[in-house]
Amino acid sequence: MSALSPEAASAPSGGTFDGVVSHGNWIRDMHPLNVAVVLASISLLALATPRPVGLVSGCVAFLGIAVAAGVGGSFARLYAKLVVGVGLVLFVLRAAFVHGNHVLFELGPLAPTWEGVREGTTFALVVMALCGALTLYFVLVPMKTFMLALELKGMPPQATYILLASFQAITDLGRSARTVMDAQKSRGIETEGNLWVRARAFVPILAPVFITALNQTEERAIALDARAFNSGIPHTHVLQLRPAPAWERAATALTAAACLATIGAGLLWT
Amino acid sequence: MDLATLRDVTFTYAYAEMPALEGVTLQLQRGQLYGVVGINGSGKSTLCSLLRGLIPHFHQGTLEGTVEILGKDLGEWDAAELSRTIGCVFDNPFTQISGIKDTVFEEIAFGLENLGVSRSDMLDRVTSVSEQMGITALLRKNPNELSGGQRQKVAFASIIAMDSEVLVIDEPTSQLDPQSSHAVFEIIADLKARGKSIVLVEHKIDLMAQFADRLVVMRSGEVVAEGPTAQVLASPAMDAADVPRPEVTDLAFALEAVGKGLGCVPVTRREAEAAIATRMRGTQIHADRVA
Amino acid sequence: MSTQSLISRYGRLTIFMIPIGIAINFVGGQLALLLKLPVYLDSIGTILVGALCGGIPGALVGLVSNGINSITSPPTLAFGILNVMFGLLAGWLGRRGVFTVLWKTLASAVPFALIGGFLGALITLWVFGGLAVGGGALVVGALMAAGLDVTTANFVAQVPMDFLDKVPTVLAVYVVLRGIPRRIFAKLPLGEVYLRAKGVTPAPVPTASQPTPGGLR
Ligand SMILES: Nc1ncnc2c1ncn2[C@@H]1O[C@H](COP(=O)(O)OP(=O)(O)OP(=O)(O)O)[C@@H](O)[C@H]1O
Ligand SMILES: [Mg+2]
Repeated sequence: MSALSPEAASAPSGGTFDGVVSHGNWIRDMHPLNVAVVLASISLLALATPRPVGLVSGCVAFLGIAVAAGVGGSFARLYAKLVVGVGLVLFVLRAAFVHGNHVLFELGPLAPTWEGVREGTTFALVVMALCGALTLYFVLVPMKTFMLALELKGMPPQATYILLASFQAITDLGRSARTVMDAQKSRGIETEGNLWVRARAFVPILAPVFITALNQTEERAIALDARAFNSGIPHTHVLQLRPAPAWERAATALTAAACLATIGAGLLWT
Repeated sequence: MDLATLRDVTFTYAYAEMPALEGVTLQLQRGQLYGVVGINGSGKSTLCSLLRGLIPHFHQGTLEGTVEILGKDLGEWDAAELSRTIGCVFDNPFTQISGIKDTVFEEIAFGLENLGVSRSDMLDRVTSVSEQMGITALLRKNPNELSGGQRQKVAFASIIAMDSEVLVIDEPTSQLDPQSSHAVFEIIADLKARGKSIVLVEHKIDLMAQFADRLVVMRSGEVVAEGPTAQVLASPAMDAADVPRPEVTDLAFALEAVGKGLGCVPVTRREAEAAIATRMRGTQIHADRVA
Repeated sequence: MSTQSLISRYGRLTIFMIPIGIAINFVGGQLALLLKLPVYLDSIGTILVGALCGGIPGALVGLVSNGINSITSPPTLAFGILNVMFGLLAGWLGRRGVFTVLWKTLASAVPFALIGGFLGALITLWVFGGLAVGGGALVVGALMAAGLDVTTANFVAQVPMDFLDKVPTVLAVYVVLRGIPRRIFAKLPLGEVYLRAKGVTPAPVPTASQPTPGGLR
């Protein structure tokens, strides 16, 4: 949900939008860019330290952070989905197909090897360490706060518009597509049955939805201009990011330094 | 200085066969509430686009004649400055929401953000506008999940929050019930009372009769009448343009046709009531005398 | 005419087309899943915006689509370059009027599929050692089980699969393009191509002044 989530709504500001965006949690209230630095550092650190211990610790660290931020449940669910849908697949394919000398067992044409299992584990963990950072980031930081942080760093508002409008357009178009699909179904157009029948339903459902959306761009342009979007005046912002306290900046710097030091040491070592 | 001066303006949208405006000559004064009426496709929205400078800055086409907005030739206006000076809301509430804000509060504040208004001013203005529009209960809702009518109110609130000198409003009540429509018209009247110049397109003729200072009647791209509301409503231009009159005006004409004219042409319910009351009193006196 | 006014004259709707293109990619992909079609159909928006607004906006649609997708499915990020290439190619082909004629549009499925198949296979090989995730991976797995080596299996699986995906994709693009009214074409960078194909001469330059920077784009 949004930064102005129910917790924020019952904030002491008493029903007005005065004050800064707050989730009432010290991790979630961190500056979006600091969160990015910390998570990226952990990810890199996990990759740079001895395997597979480093990688596993990285993944565990993400879980720990999520729990501390009070989003343990939702992150764990997403992460579990990735572990099964991505990690496991990457692992199984390697375990099954990477050649090696230590064949574990034979099953028809397949001969999983110890080397394959090892490579599969490492590769899956590497991917999970990278995915974890990305997934956790967007569980912790609402898109609009992230965009605000970037805009305050000088990103043009047009870029923010494109990104945020995309998310809304996905919701809106998805909804219209469902409506049209139901309407088509009730008019007797089949959306089930053999492949050819289903394939033929695709264009009649989507074309009208897409065309309507494209037609509306004209009015959207006018509406945005009516809001002085192109005023040429530097924009101000109704949402405010909490200024990062000293401890937050120190922690961020420390994590980044630890990451750089480890990578640097690793490079010197070899 | 006038709000707008149009001299013999003809505009044809690019790739269109017919001009959408033809030979339009209009003089619009400041501080007035102009109502624009006409049947579908008569060019009302096109006139709005022209007054707002979307023609020729945004819509391509051939523009002939001269257009002056606030004393300056339309072509000389900077598009950004024009967007700040003339607020506008178009009729489709589903495209008048920015689509990038997830609370009504931020949606209304969006235009103010773009104008660089300070945060404390922003909070004040959003609060006062939403109270005025009666949408404080919506402030925390997601504007993209609202009904058409609610969106229309939010879109309108977003524009009046920007406090521009001129407002061009295209069918602001198309999705609203009679009660809300009336409330929106009262807000518009209030804006006028505070010195804004307003051009308002609307099909609800009874509300127009009650609130508009002057009416512009359009038919297939031409302006067939412009003048004080009551006078225009009584004129044959309304028939020519196929625009219905207020019920009470029709009633007065019907009475006149059977030789029982009210002696005046009422355009609002109140005027009609007054005229009929006078008549009734007259009848009463007459009856007393007979008795 | 300065670049700025060129942008304002021809690119006014582009920044509004990009989010729609991204949404089209998503909704197309979701419907393909919903109808249980064996194809992705998740690059319709990229090609559509490329065809209407040019290569760069098309590429942007591809890039952002994959970026957003990678939030929930991070390996998608590695294949972002494909979607970017589709956008660039669509812009290049669009400028040449390919999407105004049905058979040319259908023929364009070949270069799209070649990019998608070859580059897709190469990325799978480089980034994932030939063993990625998704429906394609199962086919690759099956081929490898049947005795092909990893490189061959990837190319053999991905090029035809991509062709199967791109034929309905470009067909959908063609259908949508036919449904866009002139007034929208008139405000798009490559709109003139489609208007000319409809037999209308491009609009005269507006009689009034040049649009100014800061105005509608
Ligand atoms: N952006 C545009 N591009 C091309 N033609 C247009 C455009 N907008 C309107 N037209 C055409 O111009 C003519 C006048 O339309 P306009 O929208 O001004 O009428 P209207 O009086 O506002 O109608 P309604 O009551 O339906 O809103 C119509 O023939 C319409 O098709
Ligand atoms: Mg209209």
